[in-house]
Amino acid sequence: MSDTETFDILEQRKAYNATLTQAADKTRATWFPVVVLLLLLAMPALQFVGNYNYLLHLLLFTLSYVVIASGWNILGGFAGYISLGHNVFFAVGGYFAGMMFARLGISTLILAPLAGLVAGLLGYLIGLITLRVRGPSFIISSLALVMIFRIFFENWEFVGGAAGVSLKANDLTVQWAKLPYYYGFLVMAAFTVWVSYRIKHSKFGLGLRAISKDEIKAESAGIDTRFYKVLAFAISAFFVGMAGAVWGEYLTYIRPNIFLTVLISVNMVLICILGGKGTIAGPVIGAILIVAFNEFFVATLGASEINILATGLIMMICLMFFPLGIVGTLAKHRKLPRFLDWD
Amino acid sequence: MADLIQILVLGLALGGVYALMGAGLSLVFGVMRIVNLAHPSLIMLGAYVAYWAFRLGGIDPMIILPVALVILAATGVLLYKLVFEREARSAQYSEMTVLLTFALAMVVEGALGTAFTNTQRVTSPDYATDAFFISSVFIPKGQLYAGIVSLSIISALALFLKYSAFGNAIRATTQNRDAAELLGVNVNFVGLVSFAIGIGLAGAAGALVSFVFSFFPAKHWEWIAVLMSLVVLGGMGSILGTVLAAFILSVVAAFVGFFFGATWSTLTFFVALFVVLLVRPQGLFGEKPELA
Repeated sequence: MSDTETFDILEQRKAYNATLTQAADKTRATWFPVVVLLLLLAMPALQFVGNYNYLLHLLLFTLSYVVIASGWNILGGFAGYISLGHNVFFAVGGYFAGMMFARLGISTLILAPLAGLVAGLLGYLIGLITLRVRGPSFIISSLALVMIFRIFFENWEFVGGAAGVSLKANDLTVQWAKLPYYYGFLVMAAFTVWVSYRIKHSKFGLGLRAISKDEIKAESAGIDTRFYKVLAFAISAFFVGMAGAVWGEYLTYIRPNIFLTVLISVNMVLICILGGKGTIAGPVIGAILIVAFNEFFVATLGASEINILATGLIMMICLMFFPLGIVGTLAKHRKLPRFLDWD
Repeated sequence: MADLIQILVLGLALGGVYALMGAGLSLVFGVMRIVNLAHPSLIMLGAYVAYWAFRLGGIDPMIILPVALVILAATGVLLYKLVFEREARSAQYSEMTVLLTFALAMVVEGALGTAFTNTQRVTSPDYATDAFFISSVFIPKGQLYAGIVSLSIISALALFLKYSAFGNAIRATTQNRDAAELLGVNVNFVGLVSFAIGIGLAGAAGALVSFVFSFFPAKHWEWIAVLMSLVVLGGMGSILGTVLAAFILSVVAAFVGFFFGATWSTLTFFVALFVVLLVRPQGLFGEKPELA
């Protein structure tokens, strides 16, 4: 076989693959996420006709969970390493940006990427250590991490210890005060979802999926599993940290018990499980459901203990009957509406 | 010097209680391969049983201990039948069960918090605040009694596992589930019984905890990492290892608390957990590092 023939075959294969992708693209409803995004961009205009602060707060809350859960999904969903301690990076991002904001007055919206990088770097270092174990041992180590950071932050006087630090609220009128954070989270959410789509369709993402199926086989197929999963850990920490940065300024204070509580860490896991681990649309759908559900419980029952009870129950039911989540289960039965198929 | 002996004594006294708290966790992991994150919340449930018996009936927590054990063992049977049996053939069994027990812990915490609020509770039988004195060293009676009861229960368990036929079946299943099944052991039944025993031990531990620590529903998160550190250091599934680890770590924690302040004493457990997972994931007595 001569070289030209080989080249021809490669060219033909390339062309064939291109037609395949084109065919796949035709069925993809790219318009749907775009429309949703445009709607969300236009949403604050409601403030001209009335007071929709509560609606904006809920949307903002949902968007922040989209960022956090999609970030978690990169490690937990794609690579299959379930971390119950990702709120550590939420806290690190929040504290880093919050302290810079308190001391230097730089808005956390500007600092968010930097805070994400700090969290990502920390994630890289922690990942180098904890990703040496897998399965239950990894999950336990992630829990211990939260305990360690909680003690650390509660006793670090520079960041205010257990009482935390209060941050200056912005001087916009009540009507517009939420907008900077709303847009901040919207941009972050869109970016996170886009990045997780890009990762899923890259060689890196394929490697992560191989790791989640069978790490030993992945390793023997020539994937640098150690580097892949540590990188996935760092990337997911980056997004969670970024969300934490803005979250602190939005609440106008940083304190260990707003970042390092069980509900935050379990919510990001639950959102992904509910929506569908390892899918792109899953964390988005999960976030909408969880926020709606939380609001319902807090509004009707008012007690956080019942909220914990209900969250636990939903998680159990989900795990027992729909372990693939909404998107995963629908896709398995080929009933996933086209506009939700973002993968 | 007297100080150091005193700290050693206090550490050992606490170790006895931690040993029983961890023993059930270790048994359940050994037989079922379930990392039961709900174990501490079930200990909490046992503590509440003892608390209400003491508060309403004035019954001594030591006397209520068998009752708590039975109530929790029944809960264990129920949980096994409703939740864990159906997961036995799950493809990602270990992750799945960890997440399930995590959710279960939230359910138990939420239920206890809703029913009894998050107020700090403690039972106060006479011995809880009393102490023996040997020259200048004092031994708190509550912790001493709790330690003795705990070690007796663990010894009874160890004898049962070692010398009874059913105990042998449990140990065989721990060592190799498939081989045990081939040899005619009904592994499902063994699983059910050891799960019930494990959860029952949580109830017994709860009765002891009720007068050793003050407690409130959300406190079990703190215990999770503490107990996990014992089980991991001891070697997952090894009850002897868990007991030893309980004594080692609580003595170390007592010394850390003495030299660096009480805040850092709990940190000992978490750091130990981390270090053991990374340096020797199979722990002191674990046989194979299959989890690593």
